[in-house]
Amino acid sequence: MPEPDICRPEREDRNKCRAHPWVEGACASYAGFLATYVLGVNTINKNMLYTLLLIGPLACIFVSLFIGRYPISIAIVAKILWCKLSYSTCNISQMHQTIVWDIRMPRAILGALVGGCLAISGASFQGLFRNPLVSSGILGVTSGAGFGAALAILLFDAAAPIYLFAFLFGGLAVLLSYLIGRVYNTTPTIMLVLGGTIVSSVFAALISLTKYVADPADELPTIVFWLMGSLASARYQDIMIAGIPMLVGILGLLAIKWRINVLSMGDKEAQTLGINTRLNKGIVIVCATLATAGAVCVSGIIGWVGLVIPHIGRMLVGNDNRVLIPASLSLGACFLILVDNLGRMLTGSEIPLGILTALVGGPFFVYLLKSTKGGGW
Amino acid sequence: MPLLAVENLSFAYSHSDVLSDISFNVNRKEIFFLLGPNGCGKTTLLDCILGLLKLRQGSVKFMGKELNGRRPEDIARQVAYVPQSHEKTFPYTVREIVLMGRAAYIGMFSSPSPEDMRAVEEALEKVGIIRLIDRRYTQLSGGEGQLVLIARALAQKTAMLVMDEPTAHLDFKHELVIMETIVELVRETGLAIIMATHFPNHAFYFENSNIATRVALMNDHRFLMAGRPSEVLSEGNLKTIYNVNTRVVSYSIDANHDLKQVIPISTQSS
Repeated sequence: MPEPDICRPEREDRNKCRAHPWVEGACASYAGFLATYVLGVNTINKNMLYTLLLIGPLACIFVSLFIGRYPISIAIVAKILWCKLSYSTCNISQMHQTIVWDIRMPRAILGALVGGCLAISGASFQGLFRNPLVSSGILGVTSGAGFGAALAILLFDAAAPIYLFAFLFGGLAVLLSYLIGRVYNTTPTIMLVLGGTIVSSVFAALISLTKYVADPADELPTIVFWLMGSLASARYQDIMIAGIPMLVGILGLLAIKWRINVLSMGDKEAQTLGINTRLNKGIVIVCATLATAGAVCVSGIIGWVGLVIPHIGRMLVGNDNRVLIPASLSLGACFLILVDNLGRMLTGSEIPLGILTALVGGPFFVYLLKSTKGGGW
Repeated sequence: MPLLAVENLSFAYSHSDVLSDISFNVNRKEIFFLLGPNGCGKTTLLDCILGLLKLRQGSVKFMGKELNGRRPEDIARQVAYVPQSHEKTFPYTVREIVLMGRAAYIGMFSSPSPEDMRAVEEALEKVGIIRLIDRRYTQLSGGEGQLVLIARALAQKTAMLVMDEPTAHLDFKHELVIMETIVELVRETGLAIIMATHFPNHAFYFENSNIATRVALMNDHRFLMAGRPSEVLSEGNLKTIYNVNTRVVSYSIDANHDLKQVIPISTQSS
């Protein structure tokens, strides 16, 4: 549900739509916070690092409550927050309450979950596949989910089936990749990658097919916008439902994070080091798929986060997955909230997330590469 | 009881035999060499001992207990593996690499404990590279990298190491560094080692250092013979398995020590 827009040309009070000075102030301090967060991570001890990784996304969620197309002053936002959190009644207009608590808040929480999921599963897959160019979509989960959503848009005229189909087809795509990769009764990494590539391209073709048969007046644009990714429709009930697979995936990956180090030594070495490679690989794949499919089904396809956020993590905290996995989770969450905030402030209409992630992230990545010299990476 | 007892081991990929009817024992404080031409099945035999391949026949017993078919963590607490060369993917630090040697002792969803950290430092001290602990292992030289992998195997705290050509790709000096390190380890910790190698002189090196050493000559998927290097590594036997003309010479370094070496002469049959 998008925010009510007071900046439409037919409104007489257009001058109101100029951002309040505090919006700019908030943005500046927000950017400053992110910069210290990013550069500070390198120089502090473990406990502080984890605290910072936890505080980062929470702070981003908090700040994004103040940012949006409908100007609400800091005092009012704070009051709304206070009475919502203390379960007391507010004497503030219902519209303000709705905007802050029912539009901005779920959107920020969902953004944190989606960004975190994409980044954490990207980092896990990079370790599992021993390949830094792998992203969370390597086993076809994003193209599968894309097809599921497109199919649901063609068949039904409601939002719920889109989530369901996207999630199910995302999982189905990964299952197919895994079965293709099992030709030798084991699952060698290279065959999994090949399986993922095949399944991805088949589903990409199927997405094109749904676009081809879709009604260009309404269905086609819906499909195209869905594929570009957006958090605009976030509601609490989305978080309640899609949050379950996302949380399960995140917790699973956090629990098994050290074993991803060992798996990244390759199958033969990992097994001689005492790891049941098949079982451990299976757990990582299932958890990463739950997280990614849960994220994609509510947000659409958001590229870039699952590939590059783990690299930013590598530059900042090194390659040990014990630190890298939680760092990717936190960085991904912060990054997606930030980009989503930009997306709803920059222009008159919202810019789809899938576009902005790369446009914002690319230069940021280059800047980090320069300033950390890649961290030996 | 021997530490490792391999009895009538056979292995096949689909239909063609890769190993047939191999039996041998390895004792504590002993180095057992596998020597033979490319493709004779050395690496396959090592993989069978490590439990990576399913035997077609026979048994691999470690201290009297069958190893084949056990869980990976059970095997990894008995036998550790030092690979030949290692494809380096992510720039882990030396500490992180050696820590992976503790995987068999750490539960599925747990992370390493301070005790595991101590085992890592201990292992690095044993191979003499504790100073490298915080370096990135992708930036180490080939010889140092190999020492890190040996330390990782030591962190597994096993009674036996399996090494597959641990000195391949190393320079003149580091080959010797690795050999000296292995001699130290066998002397001080009583490890048993099985090593596949391409160099008969490696076996002589250990025999010359007064370590219990045996060599198995492999050819055509089976053992031709096994025994002490000075008995087995004769000009005639090397001619049989490699079809190479050699001389086995002895050179006295000082009053008490003779150094035996194989010198390759030619590949022409004469």
